[in-house]
Order: sequence, then structure tokens, then C-alpha cells
Amino acid sequence: MRVFVQRAAMLILKLLPLGLAYGILQVGLRFAGDEDLARRLQARDARAMADLYDRYGRMAYSLILRVVRDSATAEDLTQETFLRVWNRVQSFDAAKGALGAWVLAVARNRAIDHVRSTTGRMQAGAIGFDTLDNPKYFSVSGTDALSIDRVRRLKSAFEKLTPQQRQVIEMAYYEGLSQSEMAEKLRQPLGTVKTWTRSALQILRNELAGVAIA
Amino acid sequence: MTCQELSELFELYALGALEAEERAEIEAHLARGCETCAAALANALTVNTGILSLADDYPPPKHLKRRVLHAIGARDQGWGWGWVWALGGAVALAVAVWLGVQERQRTAELADARQTLLQVSGERDRLTAALQFLSDPQTVPASFGKGQTAPPRGYVFLHPQMGVLLIASNLPPAGEGKTYEMWVIPKGGAPRPAGLFQAEGTRAVHILNGPLDPATIGMVAVTIEPAAGSATPTMPILIAAPVGT
Repeated sequence: MRVFVQRAAMLILKLLPLGLAYGILQVGLRFAGDEDLARRLQARDARAMADLYDRYGRMAYSLILRVVRDSATAEDLTQETFLRVWNRVQSFDAAKGALGAWVLAVARNRAIDHVRSTTGRMQAGAIGFDTLDNPKYFSVSGTDALSIDRVRRLKSAFEKLTPQQRQVIEMAYYEGLSQSEMAEKLRQPLGTVKTWTRSALQILRNELAGVAIA
Repeated sequence: MTCQELSELFELYALGALEAEERAEIEAHLARGCETCAAALANALTVNTGILSLADDYPPPKHLKRRVLHAIGARDQGWGWGWVWALGGAVALAVAVWLGVQERQRTAELADARQTLLQVSGERDRLTAALQFLSDPQTVPASFGKGQTAPPRGYVFLHPQMGVLLIASNLPPAGEGKTYEMWVIPKGGAPRPAGLFQAEGTRAVHILNGPLDPATIGMVAVTIEPAAGSATPTMPILIAAPVGT
């Protein structure tokens, strides 16, 4: 019995480094950046999908829920979002791409598409979301749009917008309205809506540029 | 349009919110390989991503991750732990699982901490702005609810450059799917929306940024509205603070 215990202990000691190495590898993979995550997705690593969900699932779900305002629908659309990313990730440039930006764009477009299809508000001549969330658009070198500092400053800048500026931004981003649709809904001249939108975006753009310079 | 004029449209272009003519002009311009505009489009995507990330935070249900993984067939392909059993044995596996669980918890905690940090930062910014209101000699105060027992009580401060600061207590619950909306009512004019806000318990601090002339304002009011807000106040008026009386 004693010999058996000694042999078992020796076996465990020999196997321990393997377990540790595997654990360290897992931790390392999960702390790796978006570039590595995109490469693992392209290699059809299902665990990379779990990591992608851990990183961006909450943000995508919150965004979709903000647009559709129904939790069951938001769950369906979140699932669609990640499935779409999984199916189209081969076209994504892992070296230069902004994975989080792409996931949020797909999530937003799925949600707007759903709202449009359920309300019958299909805009004549509207550009298809297949084009808008094409991964090639997100294959650009850029700064991390989702860093804490950027989001905090953007949130602060957003709160400084006038109610009209905030309203048109929310209509464009969360309702998917064109400027002419906003003008019609708000019963304002198109020129006025364009001015509100342009000035609001300028404020937000300047805030982000300030972060980049700082 | 010039590159500068086009660059002001790239955020809306990336959202699909432009009219067909403007969109066609941008696409034709980008197709010519303009590097300045390509860089501006990349910046626009950064702005869009930042704005989209500002949606209120709602944790997804725990089963949603399983649904997502199931949708790509992850369950059918196996989760990859089997070979660890074969290779590593009980202790090695336990170490791997423990490290994995710890890290996953840390990821979730980091997401929570990120949200908390954003909320705390926002609160701090609001309190700083409120203190600036209170300490400036140009601020015009008004109060409401004095002498009443149950209804909301508090103060409104108007400043020619900074806007309107509302401090309220004893607020009744807005109710599910509802929010508070502030209104600025000019003397002899129609109410103007002045922003949506939520209460913390029964208290709230809300700021409308932007210049205004306190002498032209007759009243500041608050109503309960649907979550997306309203263009005109819904009765009854919860708070009515006359200005300059």
C-alpha cells in the first residue's frame, strides 16, 4: 500500500507541470489581445468564441437591448451577432482589425435591422447592413475605442450635449434613422437636423481627439 | 464636397444614416483611394464604437453564453478537456480548471469594475458641476415643495452660462419603463425638454448644460415620462419651481 501511495505521488508530481503549463496557456490566451483572439477564431477554435463572448458579450447585449427594448429578442439577436462574427471572421484582418468595433457594429446593425423589419420601416434605397458590417471596414489600424479613459470622456462629453443634439445622436445610433427621417419625426427642417447632428458629432470627435493627444 | 466636408459625414456614412446622394459621393471618393479620407473614416469608426458602447449596461442572462456556443457547434466538437484527463491526470486537470475558473471570474469582475468606475466617474463629474453652480455669484436660485409634507422638495439653480441645476428629494418612484424628464418653461412660452434623469432612491441631481437667460425663464418643471422621453410634458407635473419669485 505504501509503495502504491509513493508511486501515485511521484506520478502526480510528474504530471503537475503539464497541468500548470496548460493552465498558464489558458490564462495567457485569455489575456492576449484582439489580434490573437481573431487568429484563434479564424483557426475555428471554439474556446476563442467563449473568450470573445466574455470580452464583448455584455456590451453587445446591452447595446441590442437598448435598441429593441425586449430581453428575449435581445438574446436572439446577440446569438445572431456572434454567429455572424464566427461565420465572417475569415475576412477580418487580424493584424490590423478592431474586433470590438466590428462586434458592436454587427450587434447594432442586427438590432436596427430587426426593428425595421418588425415596424415595416424599410428605407427605400437604404444601404444594406451586409455592407455596413463587412469586416473589411474594420480592418484598419486604430486606437482602442473601448479603453476606459476614452469611454469615460466620451460619456462626459455626451452629457454636455444639448437635448436636441443628444436626441439626434440617439436617433441615428440607436434607432437607425436617416437625417431626413429624423427631420420628419421631429417636425424640424432638414437643415436644422443636419446642424444639430454635425455639431454634436464635432463635440464628441473633439473629445476623442483630445484623448488621443493627451 | 471637399475632403474636410466629407469627413464630417463619415460617422453617419458608417451607420448607413446618409441619403443616397451623399453616400454615393463618399463611396466614389473613397474608391479613388484618398488616404486622408480613409484615415478620417477609421476615426469615424472609433467615434461610432465609443458612442455605441455608451448604452446602459445590462448583464446578459447566464444561459446566453451557452446558446452562443451551441450555435457554433462548440458542444458537438467537445470542450477540449478530455485530452487533459488523458494526459494530465487528476491533479493537473484540477490545477488547469482552477486557473481557468479564477481567470473567468476575474474577467467578469473586471467588467463589473469597469462599469462601476464609469458610474463613479460620472457621479464625480456631476457633483463637480453642481458645486460650480452653487459657488458662482451669477447663479439664480429657486425652490419648490416648501411647506408640503409628502411631495418632492428641493432647489433649482439657473446660471447664464452653465444652464440649470436641479436638486430634488422625496421623489416618488418613476415606475418600470418610466423616467423623470425636466422641462424649462420660458415666460409666456411652451415647455422645452431639458433632459432625462433617474433618481437614486428618492433623491436626484440633474444638470442641463448650456447657456440661457434666467430672466426669461418662468418655471422649471419635472414630469414622469416613458423611458425614451416625450416632446411635451405628460400630466401631472411632479415638480414646479417658479423662477424669480
